[in-house]
Amino acid sequence: MVRYLGLYGDFLRQRFKILMEYRVNFLIGSTSTIFMQGASILAIWVVMRQVPDLNGWTLSEIWLIYGLLTLSKSINHMFADNLWTLGQSYVRTGLFDRFLVRPIDPLFHLLADRFCHDGIGNFIIGLVLVLTAAPSVAIVWTIPKIVYLVIAVVSGGLIFISLNLITGVSAFWVMDSVPVIRVVFETHEFAKFPLAIYPQAIGILLTWLIPYGFASFYPASYLLGRDITPLLGWAGPLVAVVLFALSYRIWLFGLRHYSGTGS
Amino acid sequence: MIRTLRRTVSIYGTFAAMVPKMFLAYSIWVWMQFFVQCISLVIFVAFWKAVYAGQATIGGLSLTQTLNYIILAQIFLPSAQSTNVLFSFGKMLRDGQVGIELLRPLDFQAANYVSNLSWMFISFLTQIPLAVFAWILFRFQLPADPLVWLAFIVTLVLGNAVLFFFDWLLGCLAFYTTEVWGLTVLRFGIATFFSGALVPLVMMPGWLQAIANILPFAQALYMPVGLLSGILPVSDAPSIWFVQLGSLVLLGVLSRIVFRISVRRVTVQGG
Repeated sequence: MVRYLGLYGDFLRQRFKILMEYRVNFLIGSTSTIFMQGASILAIWVVMRQVPDLNGWTLSEIWLIYGLLTLSKSINHMFADNLWTLGQSYVRTGLFDRFLVRPIDPLFHLLADRFCHDGIGNFIIGLVLVLTAAPSVAIVWTIPKIVYLVIAVVSGGLIFISLNLITGVSAFWVMDSVPVIRVVFETHEFAKFPLAIYPQAIGILLTWLIPYGFASFYPASYLLGRDITPLLGWAGPLVAVVLFALSYRIWLFGLRHYSGTGS
Repeated sequence: MIRTLRRTVSIYGTFAAMVPKMFLAYSIWVWMQFFVQCISLVIFVAFWKAVYAGQATIGGLSLTQTLNYIILAQIFLPSAQSTNVLFSFGKMLRDGQVGIELLRPLDFQAANYVSNLSWMFISFLTQIPLAVFAWILFRFQLPADPLVWLAFIVTLVLGNAVLFFFDWLLGCLAFYTTEVWGLTVLRFGIATFFSGALVPLVMMPGWLQAIANILPFAQALYMPVGLLSGILPVSDAPSIWFVQLGSLVLLGVLSRIVFRISVRRVTVQGG
């Protein structure tokens, strides 16, 4: 574990050396997501300014949910973005062979190979939203609650990574795995808003099948003292760990089906 | 005379025909896009229904009017807003293709506009599944009056042409920077909001509406879809066209001048 952390540090240093060669691109990349998110955040503000609440949820409460989801997403974006490019850049080109002959876990190597700086923008947006919401929601902030929030974000990040890993494994069979990943990944958009505003089927989907709800809605509702089963408020880390274990098994299964390009 | 005309038509026709072929080659991506848009649409509808939970009207619009506008805006968004100028400028510069493109014996801008028109039409066709999905789930309303349809189509094509020239101007920056990605991201972020794709312009505070009216994006989405959905009366059409034609002439002339100057700076990579 310690060895892997040290290795990750080495990979990160190398990556930053590359990134710093093109400083302007680095800056544009890290802030690009801010512009993309800006449009929808501005839209929510414009609309919410004219109504007292969104079916019982105030603007600050929406920011908390939206912010938590964006933070979880940014963890995936920064540290596991390579899952998207597994098919295109590693399997198709045969570069994946490189990971198999080195004395470290291939999945770790794949993830550590590219820290994605574009995710920094998402992290900043998420943090700003949560910090904006924090003073104006009905939560008395204590140390345990802050710890709870951090655990919720990390679990949420792990849920994002696990789901992308499950769908990303398809790269071992189909070369172009991006559409497969995207179709499942995109359902996270639902979790930017309280799941209570959707038809029930969507709530069930985002809880039991594609559990993005645990990255935003359930921790926020639990802290806000909303009417949800307390179990759902605490299940996040468990769901994340079980899902990751499952996705790792699927990854190992896919790995056995990898055949090089023969080059 | 007729022979020259026929020859010109067939050359530009080839450019127009290339776009659908490119689309079909990536059909799995088209279906993915369909699925992603379905998700957005369901979110939009749920969001607006929740917004209107304790409200009869917002900015003078009822829930039915707003939903109708938003659904139609989502259906026409790709055809109204997509000009492929920034994308193709960036690509041409990266792979050095620009050298060949500029040597072709035809008007570079006209060739690009023709493939842009074709792109617009194809984008519309690929939205038909989404329209069916939206119709089955949400039953949006379309106008019965053919005059409204005519006004809509004219406004849509004019608005898209305005955007084409606007993007052409932006694209010329690529000759200096050789990198347009950051610019593209910024442009699309701004366009998403100010085109009225997320919120109808009438709901925005005055200062945001003022910005939206200066920028060209609303001309290509809010104006045509506003007419189609009925939140803008068809009697507004002539004044909209007046503004669009004015912008068209201004941006058209400007884009040709700027292109002529900036193309001197072109760097052909790996030529």
